[in-house]
Amino acid sequence: MAEPCCLGRWKMTNPALLYACVLAKEFPAQVMLRLRPELWEKPFVVMDGEPPLEEACSYNAKARLLGIERGMTRVEVETFPSATVLVRSRAEEAAARSVLLECAGTFSPRVEDQSVDDTFCCVIDIAGTESLFGPPSVLARQIRERVRALGITASVAVSSNFHAAVCLARGHPGKVTVIQPGNERAALELLPLTVLDLSEDHAQTFSLWGIRTLGMLAELPEKALISRMGQEGKCLRELARGEMQHLFIPVEPAFSLEERMELDSSVELLDSLLFVICVMLDQLLLRAAARSLALASVTITLLLDGGGSHTRTVRPALPSNDRHLWLKLLHLDLEAHPPQAAILAITLLAEPGRKSKAQLGLFSPQLPEPARLDVTLARIRAIVGEDCVGRAVLKDSHQPDAFRVEPFTVHSGAAESKLTQVRPRPAMRQLRPPESVTVALHDNRPASFSFRSKQYGVESAYGPWRINGDWWSPTLWGVQQWDVVARAQDGTFLCGCLVHQVATGTWQMEALYD
Amino acid sequence: MPTASAIRQVIEAALVERIPSALTPAPRIIRPVSPTGIPAIDEVLSGGLPVGAITELIGPECSGRTGLALSFLAQVTVVGKVCAWVDVSDCMQPESAAAIGVDLSRLLWVRCGVINPVQQPASRFELPKKCFVPPPVTKGLHGGGFGPHPRTEANGLSEAIPELFFGPRCAEPQRRVRSAKAATAPSQLHVGVRKAIAQARPWARMEQALRATDLLLQAGGFSAIVLDMGSIAPEYAARVPLATWFRYRAAAERSQASILLLTQHACTKSSAGLVLRFDAGTALCDETTVFTGTRYSVAVDRERFAPASANVVPMRKPPQGVRAAEWRSRAAWAGGR
Repeated sequence: MAEPCCLGRWKMTNPALLYACVLAKEFPAQVMLRLRPELWEKPFVVMDGEPPLEEACSYNAKARLLGIERGMTRVEVETFPSATVLVRSRAEEAAARSVLLECAGTFSPRVEDQSVDDTFCCVIDIAGTESLFGPPSVLARQIRERVRALGITASVAVSSNFHAAVCLARGHPGKVTVIQPGNERAALELLPLTVLDLSEDHAQTFSLWGIRTLGMLAELPEKALISRMGQEGKCLRELARGEMQHLFIPVEPAFSLEERMELDSSVELLDSLLFVICVMLDQLLLRAAARSLALASVTITLLLDGGGSHTRTVRPALPSNDRHLWLKLLHLDLEAHPPQAAILAITLLAEPGRKSKAQLGLFSPQLPEPARLDVTLARIRAIVGEDCVGRAVLKDSHQPDAFRVEPFTVHSGAAESKLTQVRPRPAMRQLRPPESVTVALHDNRPASFSFRSKQYGVESAYGPWRINGDWWSPTLWGVQQWDVVARAQDGTFLCGCLVHQVATGTWQMEALYD
Repeated sequence: MPTASAIRQVIEAALVERIPSALTPAPRIIRPVSPTGIPAIDEVLSGGLPVGAITELIGPECSGRTGLALSFLAQVTVVGKVCAWVDVSDCMQPESAAAIGVDLSRLLWVRCGVINPVQQPASRFELPKKCFVPPPVTKGLHGGGFGPHPRTEANGLSEAIPELFFGPRCAEPQRRVRSAKAATAPSQLHVGVRKAIAQARPWARMEQALRATDLLLQAGGFSAIVLDMGSIAPEYAARVPLATWFRYRAAAERSQASILLLTQHACTKSSAGLVLRFDAGTALCDETTVFTGTRYSVAVDRERFAPASANVVPMRKPPQGVRAAEWRSRAAWAGGR
């Protein structure tokens, strides 16, 4: 009776280990190609180093077929006229690495980064995920497809041994390999020694001994190997047999929706910039959608020629994953606020938000569609000006024009205020700016005035109503208001609010009752 | 025994050439209307302003057009719908709209031709800068210099002599020499002022407003759109092509939006569903100390969808209903009388 219990406890405390290794070779070249789909069908080389001592550090398959090799100088590379040459961008690589780690984090919270200079490698602890994603082979294919959607071609290997998974991913580039627990040695024996990170001395030694594959290395006697190569020899033998143990050190990839791209040449036209933004936006939307999120706001930062930067933020009323909507909003915003110099680099930083859900009622009033309204408002803003569209919010002040204009949003709920008054009230039409009038006074009251080159006789004048600034603030205004009812000689009726500026002694027509 | 329907068919068949379908009641189309909130006008219009059509409010300034439009918007916003006010002359006063009952959070305000949308800060009491600059100490007779010692008496004399001899020394008008920079390059302020003046031209503002209205109609969802051209002179308003109003009419019908057009002169012609002509108001003189309100009058000039009484044209002219209304708008401070 005790045995199953002990077994169960053993299983719970020591679950079966299973690792999936994601490895992307030629990472600098793949990163550059990721946001430049127009270069996918062309030979492509990435140069690294300080000019003029640049060397080819990464290239695609078409460039390799041309004969381009690692370590070629720029002059040598330029002898291939069909090859496109770009300078390595560490910032773009860092952004792409964080994107891939974040993608790996969607399959398991335990991810270890094993990247080296020009290869991206991460190992995911997928033990216990079978009920979520299915058997390891299905999961491995899912991982590869997800990574491919991000623009990176990677190989995926699944093994119960950490290092065996890494070696298999290195040995089978671009493929999905799954080996059952206990079969590591058989799976590794045909792989060449290059899948191990051998030092030059060790590689030379094994070459002298005639050891070319991991299987041959695994067959070597342990004690004799240690006596000749020390503990390093023992480690290499365990790696070749798939028995090397590893202490898993997980990283915690931060979820940040950021894409950065350094342009090959400075761009001045907005239309050509939008092609680049479109590709970057696609990536952001894909990543947000993988977490069932939508983009709430997008901040675009343009690095300008001359060292400056231009930052704009677009925030629609509701989070959205509609690519056309985002592109249109960014287009309109950049059109209204163009950068002052040529653009060298673009950074898109998005803020995630929950997907909007609105339950509409059968009898609820017809309201504008939020996404469409955002585009409409942006278009109107481009016509009439930035601060001239929105809803008016009154300030708690007696100052003339005491209001501010805020962005217009649609509330689907019931109206806040209830209309209680049924009596018609007179409305005022504010004259902005107030128009000057010439006033003739009689007993310190307006008797007649000239307004819009017409003479009016005052029938009734009510006032003066004096208003001035708040005594607690340095703002100062002091005016006398008169409500006047006037009629011109041709019978034109006028009913308005005359204002006498105390400080300057001028008269102005501020508003008309209509 | 023939039935009633059979007899009706026989009579209609006999009269079909003179009176088509003489005994069949005409199909009645009930067109939706929205109340204005002013009972006198609602009574004349049999319920209110038409939905999905253009209503033109024509009248001079101070004739009550704005009050009616805001009252209508108050009725629309109170049921949770949203509206837009396209302000050609930037004349709307939000305080006034709120006092009438408009829910400002549901009113989109498009201000056209705003010269300076940023609120100008009111004048602050500040001493002029020259008060903080200490006056230069005049040394010597001509600003040159002298000192306590005869040796320093001639210090600064070389700077003082040109001012003494070559400066203007008479009352004759002096020719002003403009610097080359000021004469050739216009200043930034000058460019800004020119742009503002160009924007303030009526036609530029109207173009902005018409484009904005087009966009709002395309977006849909706005139950009422007020195009306020009430302060635009008729010679400008009449220049709007009739095709624009026809397009607006079709868009309003499609999106079931009520378009209110405030003008001084009829512009929309046959595209208008309803034309109301306002007369100049007369002031109420209830109080001697405060302005209490105005009495307005309005007449229906044109009603496109007037309900037809019957499909038989009577021999005599039927009695005409009252197509005019009067109402009084009282200020909030005037009390309840």
